[in-house]
Amino acid sequence: MRSGEVGLERNDEGYTVVAINGEHDLSTAPGLRSQLRQLIADGDPVIVDLTAATFIDSSILGTLLQARKDAGEAGVGFAVAQAEGAEAVSRVLEITGLRRDLPVHPSRDEATQQAIRATGDPG
Amino acid sequence: MSADLDLRLPARAENVIVIRQAMAGLAEAAGMDARRVADLKTVVTEACNNVVLHAYEDGDGPIEVSAEIGEQGLGVTVRDEGRGFRPSAADASASLGLGLPLIAALSDSFAIRGGAGQGTSLSARFALVPAEPERSEPQPVGDELRMQVSPGDLVRPVLARILGALAARAAFSVDRLSDTMLLGDAVSHRRADDFREGRVEVAISDGDGTLDIRVGPLAEGAGERILSGLDIPGDGGSLRALARSVEVERRDDSEYLVLEVAG
Repeated sequence: MRSGEVGLERNDEGYTVVAINGEHDLSTAPGLRSQLRQLIADGDPVIVDLTAATFIDSSILGTLLQARKDAGEAGVGFAVAQAEGAEAVSRVLEITGLRRDLPVHPSRDEATQQAIRATGDPG
Repeated sequence: MSADLDLRLPARAENVIVIRQAMAGLAEAAGMDARRVADLKTVVTEACNNVVLHAYEDGDGPIEVSAEIGEQGLGVTVRDEGRGFRPSAADASASLGLGLPLIAALSDSFAIRGGAGQGTSLSARFALVPAEPERSEPQPVGDELRMQVSPGDLVRPVLARILGALAARAAFSVDRLSDTMLLGDAVSHRRADDFREGRVEVAISDGDGTLDIRVGPLAEGAGERILSGLDIPGDGGSLRALARSVEVERRDDSEYLVLEVAG
C-alpha cells in the first residue's frame, strides 16, 4: 500500500503530467486540488495519469471534475489517462460513467495529445 | 470461517485509509475475490467519508466500524454518534454526491439507520464471491395513476388531493373541479367489502382535458350499489349528471365502475 503520492513530470514541450500513485481519498484530495489549480493557473496543458493509482474515492473524482471545469474556463488543456489500472480505480470510473464522460483516455500519449489540442480552446 | 472485527477511532480524513486497509485485510483472509475487495474498499471509504464530512459539527467524534464474516458473506457497519444526515449543497458539490450511489451500486445490500441527533449507521453486505446479478425487469406501467388505500377516513383527503392535482394539470375550471371532487367522494368512500381486495382501489388516467376514473375491482354487485349511491334522495336527480359518462364494466371476471369527467 502506498498512500497519497503525486509525481509531477514537467516536459520540455510545455505540458505537465500529474502521476497519481497509490491510494488517494479525502485526506489527499485537498493537496491534489491545490496542485491542479496551480498548474492550470500556470497555463500549460495538464495530464492526470491514474495508471499507478490503486484506489480513488468520490472526493478524488470530484477534484478531477473540478479541474476539468477550471481548465475549460481558463482555456487550458486538461485530460485524464488510465492504462491497465487497478481494479478499485477502474470500477469507480466505470460505475459512475466517468470513464466515458470525463473522459479517461486509455494511454498517457492519447491524453497528452488531447490536452495539447485543447489548450487555447476555451470550453 | 467466522470472524469479527471492531474498530473505533477519531473521525478524521487520515484515518479512513486505516479502516479501508483493515477491511481489505479481513476480506482477503476470508477468501473474497479481488473485485469484491475493491468494491468493499470503496463502500467502506464512502461510508467513512460521510462520517468525516457530515457527522460532527465541532471537533472530533468517534467513527466505529464493525465487520463480521459468516456463511452469508461479509457484513460491515459504519457508525457515528453525530448529528445525523443533513443536506448540504456545499458538501454535495465537493464529492458530487457520489458517495451513497457508489455504496448502493457496489454492495449486495445496504441500509442506513438513524435520525436527527441519533447518530447514523450504515450497513452493507457482500458475498465473498460475486453472484451473477439477477436483473429484475420493471413491471410494465401504463400512464395511469393507481391508488390503493385502506377504507375509512383516509380515502377522502388522499383522493381529493390527487384529483385536485390531476384536474388542475388538465386545466379544469373551478366548477368542474368541484364536480369532480363530489364524484370522487361519492365513489370512493365505500365500505371495504365493496372491494374485492378489501382496500379501496382507484385508477385515474388523464386525457385531453378529461379524467378517466376507474374504481375496482369491486365485489359482485358493488358497481350497481355505488351507482345507486350517486342518486340524490327525493328529487330524482343524480350525481351521475356531473360526469360525461358513468358505467359498470366487467373485465377479467371483475366489476369496475368507470367514470369520465371533462374540464
